[in-house]
Amino acid sequence: MTSRLKFIAQRQSAYPMSWIDRMLRAASRHKAIVLLLLVCCGVAVIGAFVIRDLHAADVEAQQMYTGSVHGLQRIGELQYDAQETRRATLYALTTSDSNLQVEYADQSRNADQRVKDGIEEYARQAKLPGEVSLAKRLAHDWAGYLSVRDEVLASILEGSTKEAVNLDLSGGVPAFELVRQDLNQVKRLYDQDASQRLANLGASWRRSSWKLIGILAFTFVLSGTAVWAVQRGRMLNAIHLAKLQMEFVASVSHELRTPVAVMSSAADNLADGLIEGRASLQKYGALLQKQSRRMGELVDEILLFAATEDRENRYILQPLEIYPIIESIVASSEALIQGTDVAFHPQIEPSLPLVMGDPVAISQCLQNLIGNAIKYGGDHPRITLRVFSAPADNGSEEEVRISVGDRGIGIDPSELSRIFDPFYRSPSVNAAQIHGTGLGLSLAKRIAESIGARITVVSELSVGSTFTLHLQNAKGDDLQTAVGASRPASSARV
Amino acid sequence: MRRLISLLVAMALATMPQAVSALELSSWDLQQSPAPEALVIVVNHSNELNNLSFSELRSIFLGRRSHWADGRRITLVMREPGEAERRVVLREICGMSEDQLKSHFIRGLYTGEILTTPKTLSTPAGVRKFIFNVPGAIGYLRLSDVDASVKAVRIDKLLPEERGYRLHVRVQEPEPRD
Repeated sequence: MTSRLKFIAQRQSAYPMSWIDRMLRAASRHKAIVLLLLVCCGVAVIGAFVIRDLHAADVEAQQMYTGSVHGLQRIGELQYDAQETRRATLYALTTSDSNLQVEYADQSRNADQRVKDGIEEYARQAKLPGEVSLAKRLAHDWAGYLSVRDEVLASILEGSTKEAVNLDLSGGVPAFELVRQDLNQVKRLYDQDASQRLANLGASWRRSSWKLIGILAFTFVLSGTAVWAVQRGRMLNAIHLAKLQMEFVASVSHELRTPVAVMSSAADNLADGLIEGRASLQKYGALLQKQSRRMGELVDEILLFAATEDRENRYILQPLEIYPIIESIVASSEALIQGTDVAFHPQIEPSLPLVMGDPVAISQCLQNLIGNAIKYGGDHPRITLRVFSAPADNGSEEEVRISVGDRGIGIDPSELSRIFDPFYRSPSVNAAQIHGTGLGLSLAKRIAESIGARITVVSELSVGSTFTLHLQNAKGDDLQTAVGASRPASSARV
Repeated sequence: MRRLISLLVAMALATMPQAVSALELSSWDLQQSPAPEALVIVVNHSNELNNLSFSELRSIFLGRRSHWADGRRITLVMREPGEAERRVVLREICGMSEDQLKSHFIRGLYTGEILTTPKTLSTPAGVRKFIFNVPGAIGYLRLSDVDASVKAVRIDKLLPEERGYRLHVRVQEPEPRD
């Protein structure tokens, strides 16, 4: 067994992911689902980021589309209205009907008003210095053309067609050419702006794509890791449980084999008639009695553990006097250690209040703790049993504590969290050839929890250990029902 | 040659039937007409002119005066023949019938006394827009048709609403008798 344990220990230390396994086992012991929950939370947060990013890109694209359509429409309208202003003026030249000429003049003025509005809107929206100066130049050039246009219109309406044509050729055409150049410049600036926006959008899309790919990859890795971790944690737990069960079977077999071997040997001697004399017979009888009792206790312990496996509450909680129980435990313990070099020192506080519990459960619990103290108490065990009242952890109430201390081998701090696990046996204990099933403390803990109590432990390696059973004080209506039943036992204080 | 053409035009005009004479215009039945509306003489806002004497107005509407004081050419705007406003102008300012006015301008053009003929517009809005577009234009509108796009001119220092103002259009201006 020892060589096998050493082999396992060496194999675990050589395994490069042993610390991960330890971590996973610890995590899965608490709740593997927590890991999945964390993954879900992570995915949800990441999903929110992705959605936000996509939404931002979508808004940017919509803004660009709206801006492009609106900008194109605005520039197109501006150019058309400028042309319409000039076109309507020239149409007036084609007729001598004053009514038609006035209509054309009116159309020209309406168009030029739209151009003015367009220029003002452009000036309002201009932000860059180049745009602002261009808006001013355009407004100036347009005003210059309009002054010529007004003179041309007046000449046409007066009937001076030749004069109107001369005016238009000498002043109108150059002035309108300036306006046309300005409008082309507006269009160029807009194109540059649109190109810049397009480039920004492309960059934004690239950024979003990379983010999305990164996020998806991260989510994939995270999910894979989580699934792997959960599966591995379960597998490790299963392996660990199987190993514990194998060790348990080995321990039980070993525990049973010793008394069976002794009993078999004694029975053989008796059957062969090798035992003679009354004293020898008594000795063999006592030996058989002791070994059979040991086997019985072992079987009882296993049966009790199996019975508590389903965690059903098999005890009846009631207010109890603690003294009769302690008295019984002390008596049985003293009987147990009689003839050995175990020292037993009970220290029991008087006037302790009633506690909530079940006498059988408390007895079983304490017997386990005392048995452990004897077993692991060293070569000359010195057991201390203290029963006292102390403030509960919440500070507002009192509780009764029963502590069982020894000055034995103690427990390594790294093992304190595992000693209450079923089938757990410390490697050092196994190495020391201290036999056991690994069920005692687990059983004691389950029994304590089933009556609303708890067990704590304080231990120092090579100094000793103290296990304490914390029992709740009885209170309220429970006290009334307990008075009659428990009072007689109070006289049996130790 | 020019004298020959003038002579031919004068003969043609003399053979045309006289539609309405100045004396006949005075025989309209004024008693039964509804309340008259003032006829406002309007010019372009750029024109510094504020007041005209009736005789100046007559010389402008007969084409005898061709330029304003600032040297700008005068462009006369008239409504189409048959319109009530035009009849008032013919009767009160020009003192002529439609045909007489036509003869007057043809003759003036040929003799060189008149440089341009009046521009004829069919609607009050057309008159307003014309005057708005042409700095040297002058025309007439009913008081209800006047807006801020044109400038009203006093006649003999009288505004259209003032007592003694001479130009009025009846709501139903009577047709001149042939």
